[in-house]
Amino acid sequence: MNTEILVQGILRGDYRAIARSISLIENSGYKVRKDIISRIYRYGSAKIIGITGPPGVGKSTAIANLAPSLAVHGKVAVLAIDPASPFSGGAILGNRIRMQAALSSKGIYMRSTSNRLYNGGLSEYTWDIIKVLEAAGNDYIILETVGSGQADIDIMNIADVTCVFLAPGLGDEIQAIKSGIMEIGDIFVINKIDREGSYLAIKDIRESLNMSNKLETPVIGVNSLTGENYDELVKNILEIKNKNPREKYYRKLKMVVMEAIYDEYSDYVDGIEYGDNSLDEDPYTLAEEILGKNSNNLRKIKSRQQEY
Amino acid sequence: MNGKNQKYTEAPVKVLLAKPAIDGHDRGIFVLAKAFRDAGMDVIYAGLLPTPEEVVDTAINEDVDVIALSLLNGAHMTAFRNVMEILRKKGVNDIAVVGGGIIPDEDKPALEKMGITGNFGPGTPLNVIIDHVRARAGEIRKLRANEY
Repeated sequence: MNTEILVQGILRGDYRAIARSISLIENSGYKVRKDIISRIYRYGSAKIIGITGPPGVGKSTAIANLAPSLAVHGKVAVLAIDPASPFSGGAILGNRIRMQAALSSKGIYMRSTSNRLYNGGLSEYTWDIIKVLEAAGNDYIILETVGSGQADIDIMNIADVTCVFLAPGLGDEIQAIKSGIMEIGDIFVINKIDREGSYLAIKDIRESLNMSNKLETPVIGVNSLTGENYDELVKNILEIKNKNPREKYYRKLKMVVMEAIYDEYSDYVDGIEYGDNSLDEDPYTLAEEILGKNSNNLRKIKSRQQEY
Repeated sequence: MNGKNQKYTEAPVKVLLAKPAIDGHDRGIFVLAKAFRDAGMDVIYAGLLPTPEEVVDTAINEDVDVIALSLLNGAHMTAFRNVMEILRKKGVNDIAVVGGGIIPDEDKPALEKMGITGNFGPGTPLNVIIDHVRARAGEIRKLRANEY
């Protein structure tokens, strides 16, 4: 495998190279991922716009409006995540249907991925895929989560602007003051504003924001069919400043360290035979012993951690 | 289903289902989409009335292994050929194309010659189609492993 050719393709913005490297990141394990990311890490930086909300409120349809309006201000890419089946592991990636026409006319790169049963609303390697899209020279990356429940809040750790999409008639003011997804929005968007009850939905969210002293958080009603009020949404997205990248970085670092340890030791642990006498010991003591045996490796990881 | 230490050749097959002409009969393709999902594949459906250009665009953007084309309106000789021509024009030779729908037996050799395999008609058992798609995807993954 020649990663160098692939990386040159990504930096040129070649769609085939971008698409293939995303597949490799999703599908081929730690070493290939490291090979790609270590070469492109220094290139590019984008504003990550997170789109989240319950299933069926119109997140994908909203992106069909949002992406072309943002394309006026810079290069845009879209990454949309759909859930995998807990029974077969397969997935139906249906986000694309809603935005195909809008995207292909502008030549906007769009990729849909399965969450591969990873919890939290994103896929395990979302950070890596976003790095590829950043290196490809995109200024704005729109990231759509799985249709989220109340606790799928990983998006707030990776997005610079989190837009929580809701629709009229989803719940009363008690729903609006609940924890979880109702706390993470930098912008709240009420889609399908032409429907009955949209005024009440906006009022309930404003009230709950007021109670937590966040009244300055924008609550915007939009209509995705007519494109009404999207200029207002784009204006608000552009106004919000990018988050400090260090926090994102540390989170990813922690994940990679855990994975590096897994990568390093899983073969070793699999190699212990069931008949082995060492299994007489309790698992906690044995685990510490295993790590102790290879303490040189662990120390290497630790000293690298301090360098960052 | 462990995402770690996975091999590229063993990862879930990614398949694009498309009806690249004016054809609104989408019951069959929904049945196929669900069958492929239940076979553990990542399935993308291109929606109703995509142009051949959009189908190829989607296939490249999503890096699918297999494009599964279906038409029930008799336009397969024109529409399927369009898709193949655009693929060739863009220099894509690492995506498999399979076909299906209402395809008369006398058209099948011509389609095979274009590189479109399968060409299943109504009544084909789902597992025959799934096995065929999986086999073609396997060839493609092996081809790609040496590419970059």
